[in-house]
Amino acid sequence: MTFSDETVMAYADGELDGATRAAVEAAMLTDPDLAHRVARHRELRARLRTEFDPVLDAPIPERLLAAAAGTLAQARTGNIIALERKPPRNRAWPQWGALAASLIVGVLIAPLLRHAPVEGPVGIRDGKILASGALADALSEQLASNQIADAPVHLGVSFLSRSGDYCRTFTLRDKSVVAGLACRDREQWRLEALAATRPAGSGSGEYQTAASALPPAIEQSVDALIAGDPLDARAEAAARGNGWHH
Amino acid sequence: MTSPDLSAGLVSLLPRLRRFARALTRNPHDADDLVQLALERALARAHQLRPDAALAGWVFGILRHAWIDELRARARSDRVFAPEESGQHVGDVGQASPVEMLSVQEAMERLPQEQRIAVALVLVEGLSYKEAAHVMDVPIGTLTSRLARGREALQAMLGGS
Repeated sequence: MTFSDETVMAYADGELDGATRAAVEAAMLTDPDLAHRVARHRELRARLRTEFDPVLDAPIPERLLAAAAGTLAQARTGNIIALERKPPRNRAWPQWGALAASLIVGVLIAPLLRHAPVEGPVGIRDGKILASGALADALSEQLASNQIADAPVHLGVSFLSRSGDYCRTFTLRDKSVVAGLACRDREQWRLEALAATRPAGSGSGEYQTAASALPPAIEQSVDALIAGDPLDARAEAAARGNGWHH
Repeated sequence: MTSPDLSAGLVSLLPRLRRFARALTRNPHDADDLVQLALERALARAHQLRPDAALAGWVFGILRHAWIDELRARARSDRVFAPEESGQHVGDVGQASPVEMLSVQEAMERLPQEQRIAVALVLVEGLSYKEAAHVMDVPIGTLTSRLARGREALQAMLGGS
């Protein structure tokens, strides 16, 4: 049985229906030339992926993040910036639910990438916004109950989320002060929210500490996710000992 | 879809949009310009996105249109780019000089636009024939014919077994 080039291509691309696919597979067993044609199609796909896939893991230029979050320019006056100026503590979470966590990250990720374009604290992989570098290390290793005062990452509260994942709040002390909430996602830390805090004083003694200094956006995210109470020092250490898997 | 939801969706699509654009144009800066233009157009046309439509396909379609507009503008200004579907000789070029191996990006750049777009959507982005045909706004038969010709030309240019 002979197959047209388009049929062989469709087979290699997984586009054939069951009967035709079975016919091609049966013929491949006895027809090395057909098997070779299929292999060539698959090799070309693999070669193209090898060429173009690396950009998936490359740092995203700030201008593209800003362009994607374009509507925030309008939302700015109403929501996001208002969050920082006057904490709307009386508002219920559902109103904020409309502002997807990844959107907040999308806007505020830009300054982070600017400061550290190669190995920044945040990266996008497979569509997920993940902690990387020193931030990822701190989330996995650092205990809030035992940390150095001027460490680049300061851990706040740790808790178990309603979906059963460990989550931790953190503050980054770069040139700007950024706070966030990350939850365990297999062996990674997925960012749930990220927001700028009020600029801390210049002296090291005025660094903001722990959860009391978290921006309202982060507090709201914690409130929305937390199941029960935050972990105490012993539970935090136990969670770390178990690789932050529940 | 509300704008904040759309923005969140666009942020998560950024890596794929950049990959698609790199497959269309070799210059990384041009590719990112193309992505930026597509994002701006997508946000401006948020009202056109039907709630049940796949966001990725919709935005890929916008990026494709932006790319074609860009090519037309370039063609007007310097007449470098040939019109769509006029590059039928491409496969012959590859066969005529089998010793000269091209890089994948060089080979992609020599494909006629519509073949390049079909290859980028199906082989690089992993869309199904149906999805790719929808993005290109053509019947599936047209998509598969462009894909087959693009593939054949690429294989001729890239050599291989």
